[in-house]
Amino acid sequence: MMKQLRPVFTFAKIDIRRLFRDKTGIFFIFVFPLIFLLVFGGIFGRETDISFNIGLINNSDSAFSQNFVEQLEENEVFTINEEVSSEEQALEEMNRGSVDALITLPEGFGAVSDEAGYPSGTAEVLYDRGNEQAGVTLGSILESVFAEINAEFVIVETPFTVAVEATEIEGLTTLDYIFSGLLGFTILSLGVFGPTTVFPRMKERGILRRYHTTPIRVWQYFAANVLSNSFVGLMAVALMFVVAVMLFDVSMRGDYISLILLTILGTIVLFGVGLAAGGWAKNENQAAPLANLVAFPMMFLSGVFFPRFLMPEWLQTVSNFFPLTPLIDGLRLIITEGRTLLELGPELAMLGGWLVLIYLVAFRVFRWE
Amino acid sequence: MSNAILEVKNLKKAYGSNMAVDGVSFSVKRGEVFGILGPNGAGKTTTLEMIEAMRPIDGGTCVLDGIDVSKNSRKIKQMIGVQPQTASFEEKTKLTELLEFFASTYGERVDTTKLLADMQLSEKADAYPESLSGGQRQRFSIAAALVNKPTVLFLDEPTTGLDPQARRNLWDLIESIRDNGVTVILTTHYMDEAEKLCDRVAIMDGGKIIALDSPDKLIKKLLKRGFKKEKQVAQANLEDVFIDLTGKELRA
Repeated sequence: MMKQLRPVFTFAKIDIRRLFRDKTGIFFIFVFPLIFLLVFGGIFGRETDISFNIGLINNSDSAFSQNFVEQLEENEVFTINEEVSSEEQALEEMNRGSVDALITLPEGFGAVSDEAGYPSGTAEVLYDRGNEQAGVTLGSILESVFAEINAEFVIVETPFTVAVEATEIEGLTTLDYIFSGLLGFTILSLGVFGPTTVFPRMKERGILRRYHTTPIRVWQYFAANVLSNSFVGLMAVALMFVVAVMLFDVSMRGDYISLILLTILGTIVLFGVGLAAGGWAKNENQAAPLANLVAFPMMFLSGVFFPRFLMPEWLQTVSNFFPLTPLIDGLRLIITEGRTLLELGPELAMLGGWLVLIYLVAFRVFRWE
Repeated sequence: MSNAILEVKNLKKAYGSNMAVDGVSFSVKRGEVFGILGPNGAGKTTTLEMIEAMRPIDGGTCVLDGIDVSKNSRKIKQMIGVQPQTASFEEKTKLTELLEFFASTYGERVDTTKLLADMQLSEKADAYPESLSGGQRQRFSIAAALVNKPTVLFLDEPTTGLDPQARRNLWDLIESIRDNGVTVILTTHYMDEAEKLCDRVAIMDGGKIIALDSPDKLIKKLLKRGFKKEKQVAQANLEDVFIDLTGKELRA
């Protein structure tokens, strides 16, 4: 038995080394999915820093208004554009989008009126209609700033207050949801696009034919490739994880053992799809359309780029049976809901079914030349 | 142990209605270099591939060292070495790694250092096959065919596309392999090569063997029939001139 496994391990070891020497392979397996992660992370990542670029015109010379300006400058929510000195200029900058709003402190703002005995005034906020959100947010922030100041001058007991406090639970961001799809995409491109390119090319160049002159068995060659690709798949997923967690604060709620085991199972199943297609195809002309035919429906319907719940029901039913769907669903359930592998019965059953089916097909259709 | 290591009887292979190999019979003696000659499409490669257990045998029998090829393909592959026509290897893989892998398919380990040294490829141990010259690639291809210490070595057009120096160098190598007790069966388009290397040759055409004997005897038979060359045979030819001018030293 050991003798039978020797070519498996020898080949897998060499195959992994070979992959890390191949720049094109590294790009498609490691860098390409990372680019997607960076793009989607940039779009959907945790938006913690709400900030406004504002213009500030102070027409008042009161001590209060000086103080108020200093306060605004210290406030992290505001970035004050120092170049804006007139309303005209501010409008121009707003038109360009480089300034969100203009705050004007009119003449006499903060002057102490004789009858009241405390300073008063109205700050004017100007925003463009296309930036409603900035205007409303800015208005309410300023109001709360003033409310605090007002309370200092006029002591009022407010009957109703709101207590706002953040809980320990961090909500899921869109990226948390999409991330599992990106992991699925990583495994899909490794499993399907890899072998459908490589095997036909090796046939055309007679490399597989040369292997066929040796006593190597098809199962040994398959096992070797499955081994090396599972390893590489794990590395690619690990890299995605490190970047996602470090850069975009993606939350991982499940256990890593479940994640690793599901990743390996998914890689083996999807590699089987590529192996069946690439093992059957005689040349690259046959393989390329076949790879696209297999990969693209999965890419668009299994929830890589679009959530499946947005699709019509019949399409969801169809895509339920794609091998990529249970993988992505399973990864998502582990990552966002903290499920363990044992709680993923339906997903594992579907993947298991595919595992048996696709390798039966792959063994039947494989040809060495 | 019989004197013949390979017995081929009435071997047949059909592709559709075309008989690629049409009732070929011959035997190869233990330890000889046996050549199969013939124009393209004569059925040389197909014949080899059936003996190598690479292709199903449609008719006839083929017994290698007492083992029926059609019934024991795995056993046959275990004891032979094969260099297919225009052999090619995976890129970005060191020669030592490739040899290790080939050895492992036989369930064996191999002394890559010695094997590469025997093939004059010591300094290329860590090189990738795509960086080898034509001659080096053929030598490596033969090295890969020797990892399991085969009883019979099959070489399909081993010197096609090589320069005269590399060709001569390969002849020496093949002779030294033969001297180590390995039976060599090769195909070639070069008659000088067959004359120099082969103890006996079979000439094939249209899927059949039309002559089989030692090169000397085949030539004598032809002369007996009164054959005369149009041009007076010179004591040297252009290749002799070429080798005299450029030397036997192996290039790249």
